[in-house]
Amino acid sequence: MSSPHSAIVGMGRATYLRLLVFFLAPAAIVYTVFSIYPLLATIFNSLYLYHSETKSYDYVGLGNFTTLLTDTTWSVPFWNAFRNNLVFFAIHMSVQNPIGLALAAMLSLPRLRLRATYRTLIFMPTMLSVVIIGFVWQLILSPLWGIAKLFLQTFGLGFLFAPWLGQEGSALITISLISVWQFVGIPMILIYTALLAIPEELIDAATVDGLNQFQAFVWVKLPLILPTIGLVSILTFVNNFNAFDLIYAMKGALAGPNFSADIMGTLFYRTFFGNQLQLGNASMGSTIATMMFIIILIGVMTYLFVIQRRMQRYSF
Amino acid sequence: MSEVKIRNLHKSYGSVDVLKDNNLIVENGAFVVLVGPSGCGKSTLLRCIAGLEPISSGTITIGGKTVNDLPPAQREIAMVFQSYALYPHMDVYGNMAFGLKFAKTPRPEIDARVAEAARILQLEPLLKRRPRELSGGQRQRVAIGRAIVRKPQVFLFDEPLSNLDAALRINTRVEIAKLHKMLAATIVYVTHDQVEAMTLADKIVVMNKGRIEQTGKPLDLYYKPANLFVAGFIGSPAMNFLAATVKDGKTLELADSQHLNVPLPAASKPGDQVTLGCRPEHMRLGGDGTLALKGTVDIIERLGETGFAHIRMATGQTIIAEVRGDPGTSPGASATLSLAPAQLHLFDASGQRLG
Repeated sequence: MSSPHSAIVGMGRATYLRLLVFFLAPAAIVYTVFSIYPLLATIFNSLYLYHSETKSYDYVGLGNFTTLLTDTTWSVPFWNAFRNNLVFFAIHMSVQNPIGLALAAMLSLPRLRLRATYRTLIFMPTMLSVVIIGFVWQLILSPLWGIAKLFLQTFGLGFLFAPWLGQEGSALITISLISVWQFVGIPMILIYTALLAIPEELIDAATVDGLNQFQAFVWVKLPLILPTIGLVSILTFVNNFNAFDLIYAMKGALAGPNFSADIMGTLFYRTFFGNQLQLGNASMGSTIATMMFIIILIGVMTYLFVIQRRMQRYSF
Repeated sequence: MSEVKIRNLHKSYGSVDVLKDNNLIVENGAFVVLVGPSGCGKSTLLRCIAGLEPISSGTITIGGKTVNDLPPAQREIAMVFQSYALYPHMDVYGNMAFGLKFAKTPRPEIDARVAEAARILQLEPLLKRRPRELSGGQRQRVAIGRAIVRKPQVFLFDEPLSNLDAALRINTRVEIAKLHKMLAATIVYVTHDQVEAMTLADKIVVMNKGRIEQTGKPLDLYYKPANLFVAGFIGSPAMNFLAATVKDGKTLELADSQHLNVPLPAASKPGDQVTLGCRPEHMRLGGDGTLALKGTVDIIERLGETGFAHIRMATGQTIIAEVRGDPGTSPGASATLSLAPAQLHLFDASGQRLG
């Protein structure tokens, strides 16, 4: 081996290898036990069918996947959850990230006062427990004792109020917007940091070139923070397709009304662990989990190989 | 006529005055260098001319037009920044054309102007490159090219050479001087490097603490500094200053009781406190004349062709004198310094030049 790394002056090969193991082992062990093993076990599980009467496993190949995608007992809830998950993601991409970008742009305005206060307040909900967020918003939006109705009536907008969380058409959108409200601080902080790294002289140069603040943002700052926006998008995608907690906290495992807020996470939870009259099914649960893994994998790969390759990171 | 006139310019941030009552005329086609220690306000003055900083009071006119309330793009100026400030996401062509595109200049006109600037600056083979694929000197030329294509009345340079290494700095300095001749451009140039100031300027403006201390031709500032600050700032190593008292019409008494026979201005009275200034290059070791100082050699710095002897006086003050060739002495030896009578500078108690 002629790798330059092995050429630490005065160090024997055996010592070097021991050092290598010493530094790599902690991360490798933790990663293997808590990530790689469960992932492989899940995929393995999805290839077997569990018989609860005989407590035995049968190898069925991709049979569970065929069942999930073709048997209407499984495919209807699955496609429903997948569609809802896409809506959940679309709302985050089209509401959370643009608002995060706008907030970051405003935070980086040179003449803004109380900058730290705004930053902290907007970031605060991100640090709160999802259970508390869900509970608080359920109280706010409750048609019986919530303040939302009263609040709208104060401005003469009472007619707009509806029990948004209880209607099939609006439950998922409402929950998505609550999630947006909670997590908008993350894109904001990431984009804000990227904006701070852009030197002032670049904006001065744009000003001399005749651009106003807004044009300088669009034509100079925005192209320079595209890599960060890409990162924010892929983080949003992964988080959204792994989401579970907020919907579980607000709507329970059934994600009602009539599964209208059901996403992959809640579908998996009901299937794997069982819920009310539904018995837990480790095989089908693992199959859904594997499908989630594949969906996220496709998304991340597309990003890495198609989008990120065309983007350039800039150092100033 | 692209003359810049600054009248009674005042600039403050809150209660802090950064520019106080500045008056300056930059003649058409002149190369004016603003020089001073860091924090003296020279960059702020330049940014005020550019319109990047609002001014508190006073007027700025460029080419006869008052530009106080005009945005930078309408002042017909172009600026070259210290960090070059090239747009990293655009190629060299894009960087130079960007401002023109925003000014809705027709495409053939943009192409012609960029081609012209690229020819002058030898950037033609680099037009399709991004800034990060360029060396420091090439980036510098692109930044200058971006200024040239604007065809401005005035070029503003903000310490454009300080990010270059020493060899390239000298090259680029010469390039800028040539460019000034070729374009017959009016240039305001900020630097803290007095060598740049001395070599490039038609007129140097020495600033200190937000005020203009002296304006003049480079050699005028060297031979006739108006006050102690300019005297100490121009020249390297700095001018030596000796506190002295006027004894009579032609004799000074130094703090260590040595007497010097110096031609004094008629107005000086016995008992006046003055400062005597003499540059290291106008002193020599040894000699006999009446204009001689006595002290002890502290150290001798040898630079090759020349060197500097540090001579400690009885008062503890150190005087630096230039020596050529072998000084013929060593640390610890006593030494006599001869001063050139024609090269002495006298300043009154308030630091203003006498005579």
